[in-house]
Amino acid sequence: MSIKVKFYSLFRINLKSAGTEFEVEQPVVISQIIKWLDEGYEGYFSKKLLDKNEIRPGSIILVNGKNVLHLNHLQTRVNDGDTVTLFPPSAGG
Amino acid sequence: MGKIYEYSVLRVNLTNGEISRENIADERVKKFLGGRGLGSKILADEIDPTIDPLSPENKLIYASGLLTGTAASTGGRYMVITKGPLTGTIASSNSGGFFGAEMRFSGNDIIIFEGKSEKPVYLSIKGEKVELKDATNLWGKKVNETTDQLQAEFGNDQARVSCIGPAGENQVLFASIMNEKHRAAGRSGVGAVMGSKNLKAVIIKADEKQVEYYKDEMMKVVKKQTKMLKEDGVTGEGLPALGTKVLDNIVNSTGLYPSRNFQKSTFDAVDEVSGEALVEKGYLQSNKGCYGCPIRCGRDVKLPNGRSGEGPEYESGWAYGADCGVDDLNAVTEANFICNELGLDTITAGTTIACAMELYEKGYIDKEELENGPELKFGSSEAILYYTRQMAYREGIGDKLAEGSYRLADSKGHPELSMSVKKQELPAYDPRGVQGQGLNYVTSNRGGCHVRGYMISPEVLGVPEKLDPQELKGKPEWVKIFQDLTAVIDGIGMCLFTSFALGADDYNEIVNAGTGFNYTTEELLQAGERIYTLERQFNLDAGIEPVEDILPARFTEEAISDGPQKGVVSHYKELLPEYYQLRGWGEDGRPTAEKLQELGLK
Repeated sequence: MSIKVKFYSLFRINLKSAGTEFEVEQPVVISQIIKWLDEGYEGYFSKKLLDKNEIRPGSIILVNGKNVLHLNHLQTRVNDGDTVTLFPPSAGG
Repeated sequence: MGKIYEYSVLRVNLTNGEISRENIADERVKKFLGGRGLGSKILADEIDPTIDPLSPENKLIYASGLLTGTAASTGGRYMVITKGPLTGTIASSNSGGFFGAEMRFSGNDIIIFEGKSEKPVYLSIKGEKVELKDATNLWGKKVNETTDQLQAEFGNDQARVSCIGPAGENQVLFASIMNEKHRAAGRSGVGAVMGSKNLKAVIIKADEKQVEYYKDEMMKVVKKQTKMLKEDGVTGEGLPALGTKVLDNIVNSTGLYPSRNFQKSTFDAVDEVSGEALVEKGYLQSNKGCYGCPIRCGRDVKLPNGRSGEGPEYESGWAYGADCGVDDLNAVTEANFICNELGLDTITAGTTIACAMELYEKGYIDKEELENGPELKFGSSEAILYYTRQMAYREGIGDKLAEGSYRLADSKGHPELSMSVKKQELPAYDPRGVQGQGLNYVTSNRGGCHVRGYMISPEVLGVPEKLDPQELKGKPEWVKIFQDLTAVIDGIGMCLFTSFALGADDYNEIVNAGTGFNYTTEELLQAGERIYTLERQFNLDAGIEPVEDILPARFTEEAISDGPQKGVVSHYKELLPEYYQLRGWGEDGRPTAEKLQELGLK
């Protein structure tokens, strides 16, 4: 089992990757996942997703399709088997 | 021409060929702004709302916005206002590109077409010379052919052309008006009204820029706002890189991405047709911008077969992709190109085919009726291309498709399978999963629409702040403010996408700088409310009753069956009374006499 992380928008285009997976022993919080991603991508994720340790307005972090702003923000727990989906500020219409 | 707060109007009587000029220099400009506002005021004053939209009594009004053609960022937009044949409501359709600015440069801030020409004509504006010319040899030609031929005859490839294709000529009820080949005044069938008047095109080349405004004051604000747009994550980075199709995966991941005529709310094959796929497959050549635009969200695309054009945008790609169950980006893009060439609204064209697919799969359309055409099955690339052409030319079953999904489904005894409001098809967000957007759909003055108050921005994207999409409390107020602010932006002539980075105060600042109107932000928003209420009153006078503020039963009776929003339905009916109250409308959904008085509409 693992936590699946999906990259979209500029993450996917600029990093040329559709995502990654993390093996975990126990549940982790979103901020930990961002730290792990930063290690592999020179801090790119926190630069796009965060502003002063808060979620940057317009960035979208989903756990199983639910926006973490309506869960527990960066402290939202992610369990084995969950999917995390990440978008830098994005909009259209 | 005059100052920016004086509107120069060109009136073209197509019945007798008379062309005249008049000026609007009174308080109407300040009260209604330009574009959608002033154009709607003129329409409401000049036509009987109960007329047949395709009769000579209807008028077709091209209106540039208050700041169109000025230095305002994205200030190049124009609006086409008429009574719409798809909905029977007021129809105002907005387009970008460069045509609107050229109208303004030429000193023709508004052009009113009335009556009906005996034979096909086009309007030619070359500097001060304005003429109606014979368009017999253009009739039947596609948008791209018409544009090329007119520019060649005109002797200037920088002349701007706004025209209809065969769909407009054939009065397809959702025909568009296209400018610069790829930009569309897309929705509500404004192109059918143009076709009904035997008006094929308008071509304009100004001699000099006849736009007057307070340049020094305005340039300071423009500089600041351009910086805001360039530094914003959405308008400065996301939209230039991925265009509006950045939304495919956001909306799908949150479980709001309708597929198969809204039978599902996610699409398995989204990765094949998304904005990211358009880049990864190598179809995207570059991004493109409209007049004065620092965002540049347009897609310049080339397909493996060598065909090139612009698009697809998010809505177009969704209508032909997920909503038709088609996972072939090549076919989806090709369908978009065909719509642009033939002059069709991509949203209604794609979603009408999706509705036909559900009708066919449920046995309500017989195979015989397709004659020798491909089966109308979800997922069929062949079907979306074939029936798009058929509807533009009204051939075979295309004649029924050309009436839009409501009339098609109704003719088969199943109007409930048309995913529309007031007979105009819904765009690419399932209203069950976004409660404010559902309320917005039912109260939009031109029927199902996403650009009359884009609640997706706060409810899904978190701009300007993130609202819980399932929360009901406070939503009517948000919807009203978004609708009013949108009417303001449409009146000003800026692009709605600026609102991802700019707020009401910013619009007020630029309007005041350019015009010297000295509005407060509240007064400017009240102008938006005035426009919205005027449109509502027009619709009521046209016989569109408040009972039509209703979503298809699917959204209240069938819960979402898949994805993260599984189990939810729309609660818009619970929100309507508060919405009416906030608008100063009675419980019956009609503006009260007091409200009309307050807004100066009576």
